[in-house]
Amino acid sequence: MNLILRAQVAKAAHAIVPSWPVESFIAVNPLAGHEPRPFETAATPGVVLTRSREAYLADADRGRIVDADLEAALAERVPELAGKLTIGGNSVSAVSVAVLDMKSAQWNSPGATEPSAPWLDEYLATWVSSYLNPDPLWPMPHKQQGFYQAWRALARRDPSLPRTARRTMAELPVEPDAALAWALVQLGVAAEAVTETLRAELQYLPGWVGHIKWRAEKIGDIDLLSYLSVRLTLQAVLDLTPLPSSRKPLIAEEAQTTLWHRAEHVARSIGGSRADRDDIAAVSRVLATHPVPDHELTWQKAYELHYRATLVASLRDTDPFTPRPQLQLVMCIDPRSEGMRRHIEVPPDVETFGFAGFFGVPVRFSRYRARGAVNSLPALLTARHHLTEHPTDPAKADDHIMRGRTRDALRQSTHRADSGAVTPFAFAEVSGWLYGAISVLRTLTPTLQARIHRFLTPSTAALPSNVTIVDAFTLEERAAMAETAVRMMGIGQFAPLVVLAGHASESMNNLYQSALDCGACGGNPGAANARASAAIFNDPDVRALLAARGIDIPSDSFFIAAEHNTVTDAVTVLDRHLVPQSHVHAAQTFDRAQRAAAGRLVKERAQDLPGASPHSPARVQGRAHDWAEVYPELGLAGNAAMIIGPRQMTRGVNLNRRVFLHSYQTELDLDGAALETIMTAPLVVAQWINHQYYFSALNPATLGAGTKTIHNAIGTIGVLAGHAGDLRRGLPWQSVGLGGQLFHEPMRLTVIIQAPLDSIGRIVSRNQVLRNLLDNDWITLTARNDPAAPWRRYTPYGWTAAPTALKGT
Amino acid sequence: MTMTMNNLTQMTRLEVVVPARDAPAIRELITSAGATGYTSVSGVSGIGHHGQHSGALLFNEYDTLTMLITVLPPDNAGELIDAVQQLLSTSSGVMFVSDTYVSRPDYFQ
Repeated sequence: MNLILRAQVAKAAHAIVPSWPVESFIAVNPLAGHEPRPFETAATPGVVLTRSREAYLADADRGRIVDADLEAALAERVPELAGKLTIGGNSVSAVSVAVLDMKSAQWNSPGATEPSAPWLDEYLATWVSSYLNPDPLWPMPHKQQGFYQAWRALARRDPSLPRTARRTMAELPVEPDAALAWALVQLGVAAEAVTETLRAELQYLPGWVGHIKWRAEKIGDIDLLSYLSVRLTLQAVLDLTPLPSSRKPLIAEEAQTTLWHRAEHVARSIGGSRADRDDIAAVSRVLATHPVPDHELTWQKAYELHYRATLVASLRDTDPFTPRPQLQLVMCIDPRSEGMRRHIEVPPDVETFGFAGFFGVPVRFSRYRARGAVNSLPALLTARHHLTEHPTDPAKADDHIMRGRTRDALRQSTHRADSGAVTPFAFAEVSGWLYGAISVLRTLTPTLQARIHRFLTPSTAALPSNVTIVDAFTLEERAAMAETAVRMMGIGQFAPLVVLAGHASESMNNLYQSALDCGACGGNPGAANARASAAIFNDPDVRALLAARGIDIPSDSFFIAAEHNTVTDAVTVLDRHLVPQSHVHAAQTFDRAQRAAAGRLVKERAQDLPGASPHSPARVQGRAHDWAEVYPELGLAGNAAMIIGPRQMTRGVNLNRRVFLHSYQTELDLDGAALETIMTAPLVVAQWINHQYYFSALNPATLGAGTKTIHNAIGTIGVLAGHAGDLRRGLPWQSVGLGGQLFHEPMRLTVIIQAPLDSIGRIVSRNQVLRNLLDNDWITLTARNDPAAPWRRYTPYGWTAAPTALKGT
Repeated sequence: MTMTMNNLTQMTRLEVVVPARDAPAIRELITSAGATGYTSVSGVSGIGHHGQHSGALLFNEYDTLTMLITVLPPDNAGELIDAVQQLLSTSSGVMFVSDTYVSRPDYFQ
């Protein structure tokens, strides 16, 4: 083992963000390695941070960005622009001069570029995908020895490589460490240039490199050292000299417009012919403080400020509902929940809350006697508790499972038949008519086909069962989880019926299905966590411990679990067999209320969904079963803000399903511990999601996955665009845009909190993750102590007045 | 190998405090160096070059600090120390190296 070389590889890979497999898609900030530094320095090769000048000017034309936004953005970014000056006898503010300049100065948007795919990248991508493919038709020989060793053993017989190279390969060191060291010497890389050379090499194939980093930490069948050993050894054998990365970050270029020309143009537009040389000189001194390369981020900030000021102005302070509510619905902070909450809480005695969709119950979950398990918890946590379920009728469940396994065996054998070398011909002759008929049915009447399929192959999930909370957690752990949830959400009193609704998406033929499921549950459906949480809250022993800690849950309060289907908007009650007779009527009332709310919400969503009509809600819901549909739903497109505070701030306000809503009451969190948990976990997850959408929208070729229509799956690892090349990162284009236009507005997350500013400040100052995000402008924070206090904006130097409602809107 | 008081054996002890997201790379170096084990303490708090660090967070193990402690024979420690030093030269984290004494040296070889 060459420890120094291993340290150099780790150092070179430090800024690379691990990339989760698509089967449990975790939204991440693809530029998270840059978070310790200012946002504006994060541009990397082929990556842009903003939209084009033309896009911002178009926004200015339609009033999406007004002069007041530009002035506010300039005031934040260039505090020196505070004074006034006289041009041609007119007194004007320096900031308005800079605004005129921003609208006239030319700059070229660098534009996100397609990644290059030279021969070496194509070659390596083929080897890596063959090595990692979990379900290959022909397993790679020597795979168990490791990536480098398998390649070394096989590439010697690869006819695509020159004969001389193959002869040299027979002499290569056996161990990857030694091979990499040998290659670096052969390539003439000086000792002090090793890390930089490795870093440059890791810039190529960023999709596979990110996934290998994740895999090395979570699975361990490949690591970056063995990947680099193959890459560098091959270059040495083929005599390809590695060069330090020549791909420089792309920045907006000043299009040959000198400072004097800019100043002259602005001075003449203000003072006309009366503007003289001294006026132009005065203007140029102002404009020198805001050079053209800074314009793009000022436009972006103005774009964000407009949304933020409008959002803050829309917030209300409705009176809390003081009598006991009859129904409480707790949903995930996911912006899609906002629509359901708004539509269902029309009666005053219905209260809704926002909480992380894993309901504070982090588990690894497996269904009854299922093969495998899923980590149903945030990616920020490690699974330590295993939850499963026990059917109420084990004999029936076993019978059900036996039939399911028979169907699986049949499916497996037909899969083998249609993927062999010769068998597909005979298989098509024998069974083609059946599959043809099913395909026609699935294409023309997807909903009917889904019903038939459901009837013929009932899911085990439909069988009554109980989740095993007692086996998974101690009583103390269960009570602690319940107490944490109550204090984080700020529930002061409990309704007779409390519904905990996780969420899941439903679509066909969609490799990115997991990206539409619950992010707080590790890209999985949230039903298991909701069921576990409801069981914990209904546990009399837990309630007794909670009572001792000052949380009294009335004996007539019952918790039920539910799941919100974000394609159909149905909220289905789970574990209905557990609902006591005393609460059956309340559960039925909830059913009716959610059906009515879903009807309204589907019509609302249809206005934004490509190709949908508010007059055909059934067709919107039918997208769940349509195998040709690339827009089953819009997911979290449009996400732009997170509000942490009581529902009274937002109840009755249409937030257009763009805001993460986390309930919080200062009065129930006197030491600020719950607020710290919210700010260091749900807020961080929301920021990961927000930046995933942001960069996938701006860089569909490099940080997004491109169009779904040409995707090919590599097992459950990820997708390729076409048949070869790099593993695609980020979200597909259909998550952020339609045709050539974005429907997602890329804005950095606006965080709004109602809580004591002192508490917020203390939490920020003791958590480096928050300092990085806030001090470096990756997100913004606006807060107020209480409803009567003014809004303040966080800056690294203290709280300052937040921009108020905008002029000119 | 040095034998001192009470028949204890001298060893070298490394303590490394890094962001949790960087801990896998340190753990990999420790095991590659042939150390027979390590202790990992997650959610450590304190004040350092980059300011204050809160301790364990309830729902976030990723953005806290982790302390890794390993003990190995002095003859084997040099390369690991150099490697960790190399890794920490451009990222946040600290390493403490000290002599320590163990009662069962065969556990660490």
